[in-house]
Amino acid sequence: MASTIGALGAVEAVLEPLAVSFNRPQPERLDAVIRPDDLLTAVRTMVNESWGFLSAIIGLDHPAPAPVEGQPEVEGSIEVLYTFCKGAAIAILRTTLPYSQAVLPTISGLLPAAMLYEWELREMFGVEVIGLPVTGHLILADDWPDGVFPLRKAFVGFNKKEQSQ
Amino acid sequence: MSADINKFVIPIGPQHPALKEPANFEFWVDGEIVTGASVRLGYVHRGIEKGAEARTWVQNLYLMERICGICSHVHATAYTLGVEKLAGVQVSPRANAIRQIMGELERIHSHMLWLGVAAHEGGFDSLFMYSWRDRETVMDLLEKISGNKVHYSANLLGGVKFDITPELAAEIHKGLEFLDERNRFYLKVVNQDETFIGRTRGIGTMNAERANFLGAIGPTARASGIAHDIRVDAPYLNYSEFPIKVQTHTSGDLHGRFIVRINETFESIRVIREILDHMPPGELTVRMPRRIPAGEAVSRVEAPRGELLYFVASNGTDKPERVKVRTPSLCNWSTVLSLAIGLRLADMPMLLTGIDPCFSCNDRSVSVKRGTQDPSVWSWEKLRQYGIEYYR
Repeated sequence: MASTIGALGAVEAVLEPLAVSFNRPQPERLDAVIRPDDLLTAVRTMVNESWGFLSAIIGLDHPAPAPVEGQPEVEGSIEVLYTFCKGAAIAILRTTLPYSQAVLPTISGLLPAAMLYEWELREMFGVEVIGLPVTGHLILADDWPDGVFPLRKAFVGFNKKEQSQ
Repeated sequence: MSADINKFVIPIGPQHPALKEPANFEFWVDGEIVTGASVRLGYVHRGIEKGAEARTWVQNLYLMERICGICSHVHATAYTLGVEKLAGVQVSPRANAIRQIMGELERIHSHMLWLGVAAHEGGFDSLFMYSWRDRETVMDLLEKISGNKVHYSANLLGGVKFDITPELAAEIHKGLEFLDERNRFYLKVVNQDETFIGRTRGIGTMNAERANFLGAIGPTARASGIAHDIRVDAPYLNYSEFPIKVQTHTSGDLHGRFIVRINETFESIRVIREILDHMPPGELTVRMPRRIPAGEAVSRVEAPRGELLYFVASNGTDKPERVKVRTPSLCNWSTVLSLAIGLRLADMPMLLTGIDPCFSCNDRSVSVKRGTQDPSVWSWEKLRQYGIEYYR
């Protein structure tokens, strides 16, 4: 456990100038909230420090809450979690993108393994990944309609959508 | 011929390019030599991550188990560990020991399955038939414990369904003795058969630095000398009490991947014997809440193909907010696409098989049929009712 705490301390120190905030939801895990503009620098820092390996890119959809009368409308967002693992230690870079600006730079230039994860993120959540060197579908069918992102909460299946209409 | 006149594209798949599962690869060739490669997945995409959001925590246990027919137990284990972490529930050492035994038996059956498939791709069908025949022994052991050969369904949220009695332990010991002997024979074959060595030694070689750069994990990485194994790096279940020794090889080629997997089989046999001889006490199950407290948990386990990561998020209800599954096969694809360049086209099936790809693992998230008139598309409720009536 000592080495895990040491590894998390080290990553916290190097991400300090970039992180908006830190959180420790599990003893072996550190979450760092990063602005989308700082993402590439943060990932480069992880690579330069040789801090573990990129284990997953996780998308989370946060739909807009129901509008409250008298309150301005809030836009939904996609949160992207870049999960790095080193031994038992887990460091997650979390960045949030509003639906209207769901754009991120690719990190596949730094970590080739990220390409498939980013491709999946683009297909499933509709996050545009600038510089991703692939086009077309990775997982979804060739005739999958444009602009339909299955892991967004708004997607409930074609049949149900048609029924609700 | 592609639009680019300088490259000739050979499509392989989607019908069984390596294992008898679908994926499509395009290899760009110059004569016999591969100059580029691309992959298209998704042919067995089933909507599991999306489906999980509409099902209860308990229903999802069975759904997650069905992501893969080879490593079903390890998926259920990763899921239960994540949910138990969120619920703050600690299962007994005995339940953990049974989970660990099932997981290691599963690893033996997975590695023996792979050995057969890889031998088949190398044109060595005798080895394929021998290893699959002998694999029946471990399948029979799994059936004796759980009643099932494939989806053993040993896990529950909060424990396990089946105990391992002294009589069962004796049968497992007997089966392991046979498997140990047979795998020693396979190790000898893999190291001595000239034809086989010709198909594996020096093929798809990847040093540790390159394996790291490409994000390789599991036996694929360990065959390149990377001593990375979640069972040791971040021990779960009872891996602290019953540790395993990480198996590595330095050759980094296909041959090394055979050696590592067969040696891992011996290590699994050793650790199962040790657990059976020192079975910890405890109840099989502890009580789990129906609603799981809000939060997020990451759980990592060592599947037969490498690190399997689950991210489970709860919104405090009886259904998850999100279940993300990152399977090991997905990580290892980059290595195939990169290593293919410069090899002969004839090496591609062996190279693809070398990472022990699992297409069910890659293709999880979504499959939606449009239109309601297709009689082959059943609703969940209709399928459930059919199942109830069938077994009535």
